[in-house]
Amino acid sequence: MNTRKLALLFLLGSAFAPVSQAQIKQIEMRVEGMT
Amino acid sequence: MKQHLGRQSGVQSVDVSLIDGKVDVTPKEDGQIDPAQLLKAVYDSGVTVAEMDVTARGKIVKDASGNLALQVSPNQSFAIAPNDLLKSVEPLADSPVLVTVRGELYRKPAGKKKPAASAPLKLLILEVQKKE
Repeated sequence: MNTRKLALLFLLGSAFAPVSQAQIKQIEMRVEGMT
Repeated sequence: MKQHLGRQSGVQSVDVSLIDGKVDVTPKEDGQIDPAQLLKAVYDSGVTVAEMDVTARGKIVKDASGNLALQVSPNQSFAIAPNDLLKSVEPLADSPVLVTVRGELYRKPAGKKKPAASAPLKLLILEVQKKE
């Protein structure tokens, strides 16, 4: 039973891990009318 | 405008250069930031955004209609506008490979002052920096 739970956790972890490392790193804007 | 942007959720720091009209926004560590919200915040402070570029790391995914998108978090993705660089990342669709790209997310339409509020932001890839 525990092995099945661990396997399920591993599968879920591997499915979500790459996306959790994904992110917006920088945003750069060029603006007009700024004083 | 700097203070207004700094109050937006997910913003860690804002650097403004008055000389060349550039605004750099650094997201917090978790990267949970909404570019559309920033765009609106800049307009609300009375300044016009000519162009917005973003550097992001994410997975290339296919949406329900088969179009490619860059997924930067489980609930945030940007449709990718077609160009030559799109072809270089197309084979990575729905693979676990993470790509870091720099791209244009918004450009002010000619002759219009404000962006259409309903128009979703599309990512035009300008540079593929890393595939990992």
